[in-house]
Amino acid sequence: MKSRIDEVKGEALAAVSAAETSQALNEVRVRFLGKSGEFTSLMKLLGTVSKEERPEVGKILNEARVAIETALSAATSAVEAKEQAARLAAEAVDVTLPGTRRETGAFHPVTKIREEILKVFLGMGFSVAEGPEIETDLFNFQLLNVPKDHPARDMQDTFYIGDNLVLRTHTSPMQAHIMKTEKPPIRVVIPGRVYRPDDDASHSPIFHQIEGLAVDKKITVGDLQGCLQTFAEQLFDKDTKIRLRPSYFPFTEPSVEADATCAICHGKGCRVCKGTGWVELLGAGIVNPAVLDMCGIDSKEYSGFAFGLGLERIAMIKYGIPNIKLFYENDVRFLGQFR
Amino acid sequence: MLAPVSWLKDFVDINVSPETLAKKLVAIGFEVEDIHYQSRQAKKVVTGKILSVEKHPSADRLRVAQVDVGNGVIQVVTNVALEGGEYVAVALDGAVLYGGATIKRGELRGVPSEGMLCGLEEVGVEADAVEGQTKGDILRFPEGTALGQNALVALGCDDVVLDVAVTANRPDCNSIYRLAKEVAVALGKDCREPEIDYEVSDDSVNDMVAVEVRDADLCPRYMAGGVRNVRIFPSPLKIRARLRAVGIRPINNIVDITNYVLTEIGQPMHAFDRSYLESGRIIVRRADEGEHIVTLDGKDNVLSSEMLTIRDGAKPVAVAGVMGGENSGINDATTEIIFESARFARDSVRRTSRALNLRSDSSARYEKGVDFSAQEYGLKRALTLVYRTGSGDIAADLIDVAVDHDKDRKIVFTVREIEDILGCKVPVGKMKAILSRLGIAVEKGEGKTYAAHIPDAREDIVLVNDIAEEFIRVYGYGHIEPTLFAYSSLTKGGKPEFIRFRDAVKETLVDLGFDETITYSFISPSFVSKLKIPADSPVARPVPILNPLGENMSVMRTTLLPSMIETLSYNIAHFNKSARLFEAAKVYFADKQPLDDYADEKDHLVIGAYGDGFDFFALKGAVEGVLAALQAEGEFRRSELPFLHPGRAADIFVGGVKVGYLGEIHPDTAAAYDAEERLYCAEIDLVALHGAERGAISFVPFSKYPPAERDLAVVVADGVPAGDMLAAVKAGKISNLVSAEIFDVYRGAQVGEGKKSVALGFAFASPVRTLTDEEIAAEMKKILGILRRGFAAEIRR
Repeated sequence: MKSRIDEVKGEALAAVSAAETSQALNEVRVRFLGKSGEFTSLMKLLGTVSKEERPEVGKILNEARVAIETALSAATSAVEAKEQAARLAAEAVDVTLPGTRRETGAFHPVTKIREEILKVFLGMGFSVAEGPEIETDLFNFQLLNVPKDHPARDMQDTFYIGDNLVLRTHTSPMQAHIMKTEKPPIRVVIPGRVYRPDDDASHSPIFHQIEGLAVDKKITVGDLQGCLQTFAEQLFDKDTKIRLRPSYFPFTEPSVEADATCAICHGKGCRVCKGTGWVELLGAGIVNPAVLDMCGIDSKEYSGFAFGLGLERIAMIKYGIPNIKLFYENDVRFLGQFR
Repeated sequence: MLAPVSWLKDFVDINVSPETLAKKLVAIGFEVEDIHYQSRQAKKVVTGKILSVEKHPSADRLRVAQVDVGNGVIQVVTNVALEGGEYVAVALDGAVLYGGATIKRGELRGVPSEGMLCGLEEVGVEADAVEGQTKGDILRFPEGTALGQNALVALGCDDVVLDVAVTANRPDCNSIYRLAKEVAVALGKDCREPEIDYEVSDDSVNDMVAVEVRDADLCPRYMAGGVRNVRIFPSPLKIRARLRAVGIRPINNIVDITNYVLTEIGQPMHAFDRSYLESGRIIVRRADEGEHIVTLDGKDNVLSSEMLTIRDGAKPVAVAGVMGGENSGINDATTEIIFESARFARDSVRRTSRALNLRSDSSARYEKGVDFSAQEYGLKRALTLVYRTGSGDIAADLIDVAVDHDKDRKIVFTVREIEDILGCKVPVGKMKAILSRLGIAVEKGEGKTYAAHIPDAREDIVLVNDIAEEFIRVYGYGHIEPTLFAYSSLTKGGKPEFIRFRDAVKETLVDLGFDETITYSFISPSFVSKLKIPADSPVARPVPILNPLGENMSVMRTTLLPSMIETLSYNIAHFNKSARLFEAAKVYFADKQPLDDYADEKDHLVIGAYGDGFDFFALKGAVEGVLAALQAEGEFRRSELPFLHPGRAADIFVGGVKVGYLGEIHPDTAAAYDAEERLYCAEIDLVALHGAERGAISFVPFSKYPPAERDLAVVVADGVPAGDMLAAVKAGKISNLVSAEIFDVYRGAQVGEGKKSVALGFAFASPVRTLTDEEIAAEMKKILGILRRGFAAEIRR
């Protein structure tokens, strides 16, 4: 009996190691351990062994069964792993082929820039407001310290709707609307369309501005500078520097132009910044006390800063767009580049 | 403002390069837009000497000259008559002439030519700006001129002209002298005064003319000086060259003097021929309504009683500050002149000039503002130039009719006020020194105050803020440390709800694959006929622009559709096979016309697409996608809008409110916009949509048991709206129905003429258990009943 067990065990182990596929292994399992398998038959013979020998034979029989099962299971794992590796290898794809995807659309570059800028100012506690584009002469000019027949009117050519009604030439009239209706502290940015009758490669009769206004106790040029510095760092990169130089706007005093270090050459000088290392970013200043007073805010108690920037300009700098006309042709080959 | 550096040097010792000067001017608020080197307006044009001349072997009119150009001898073929020995200007190989033409080595009728002889035109110089040259001839230089040098330099054209952008608050700096004062501040140098030095004759100007100012509100100051025994001749070269350098054509000594003074001092001058002033009087007053004056340019002007005139005893002789009368001007026979040096009200000159459509260098200057100090300076400077040029005998005395004005205007301030504006420490000594250099004397007042004495020329300085600016623009903004709302309160910030709503709409469309466009808000009024809009619709009455750039940009749009169709058409014409676009922008309505108050501006959305299989249902899907993102449910009903395909058009309702339309553009409208594709467009009134009933996101529990799916195909009459069938089922209280959809519509022989088969798919699931087949069959029977009763549906066999 014992020798018969060794014999079958030997055959079984040999069959296991000979099998190369999971199917073959399964056949081995059936042949030896199946209901009428060779080893199962030996187990059935245990009853015929004498009572004295039975524990020992039983033990040997069990050890042999464990040995076969262990070998079978190890071989099965090995073969399955091999088979899976082969299957996965066969399923390999060319990873350089294009992906399948649903194309999303794109925001217009002006919107893209606008939202980036708004995000920066929202983070500094500014709210967002919009205002009318057909504006009164009072709000577009007079309340901003530009009386009728004032030479500063020459700074901005104007589309007229009526004697006292214009297409707003800037987003600044919303400064006056807000100061007339709200009490300080005021911190607001006003994006919107503005209109001037210029039409050439660098001027569009319609373009977009963002106006900023902060009115509170003791607002200083330093605050304006800090605010613009934060803005430039976030819009371009953290090494961007801001430079203020004197300028003139009727509704701010002092007035400045803010330049940023060129985002393309980082101040070294290139084609975009015409070799100066600086690009003109926006106009700004301390709100003229006369404007505060005209709008019902006591200039003795409060001060403010304001700034206005052209979105197309910024987009042209940031994306290297050569001609302002491209913004309004809306060619899909243009729009699609801003996904 | 064009400022020749040589002229600035009359007043300041400039010892830096023009580029450095420009940078320093920018730093104190004067942007330099261009630096023009006269000597570079033509390149590689040099002086040369004709060594020998021979006839051209095969052309009678051409000559072959050997020219010494300093570093060698070149051969030039020319049609100019030469004898040899002349000193000339030669454009060498590679030269760039004034105006941009380039000169290359070449052959003329078989003979090599290495250059070209040049005249004034080729180097961009007028004959009256240089000495000894003739228009139309080649340039000729004196014997012994150094060879090979820049011909412009040899001509004396070696000035550098700065083009300075002077801001509207500094009208004084539209003059060489005042600009020189700024240059002096920028360079830390002293500034000399203009030279005033002349001798007068015994006769007084008061014997030549009497001046009476009747409307002093429009003429706060009128000064006059007289010159007898006037001699008219061309001005000296220096004056002519300087006027040319700033773009003014020299005329004669007297006219040139007025222009010279205008440029140098910023004071417009007018010279009257005294013989034309009847009764020797000058009266300054408003015109009589409707009277005429023919001005120097020959134009007959009708004046209104708001316009200021200069008149003699009988008639107007000049439109004040704008232009002189035809007959009062200087001519070769003039023997006595009266110089006018006046201050006219800025706004009055501007209004008059615009109303008459009459412009001059004087009116341009007056419109910017001429200050009180300039009249006397200007007049005395003009007389100095008369004296220096020997143009006549200067009468004694000056007439000066002026209103009183505060000659010592003061602004009282504290250093703390300046610091609170700037946000930086202000060193008092430094501040006083800077202001003093700007001509603003500062003296200590009571307590912590200071008084700044503002010179007449600085009418722009009225507030403490102006003092702060004067200080910091010279001290430098770099001295201010950036702070972030150092003393301010917190604010909430954020976007208003409507803007967030509109953002959500736009984001959804971008997610759905649509590109955002931005188009002009003004369009052609032809859209009314192209879209066949009924005349009584408010859409057909857009607000017009009074001064549009063109008919095609002349009205404010009442609908975004025309711009979208144009954009689609543009893309079709530019080889783009497909486009999916949208725009969110304003439309403008007027309650009444002409508009005299704010318009009704509303946010609209337009969607437009063509190509790549885009169809009505792709469009509708996009609209549904937008509505779904807003938790709004759309209802679509057949539309009869005239610009849409009559069978493929729907009005969009949300919560019973009409918010827009969608559909295929009618072929007539598409053709009117030259679009050779089927276009699909939708327009939604975002304000109406925002106000319409919308749901909110609210969690609904879902079954954990597997859903049972059932399909049902029914045959109905072709005209039955399938959407209504679905809606009826959804409204039909079917138990455990979790979804219902239409997945196919079929028309054809199998279902018969005038009919269609609609295939519907349903899914059932109970939240508490798995449903039995019997339960589901009972519900399907109910569904069939609904379809039978409501739509005469038959099960398809």
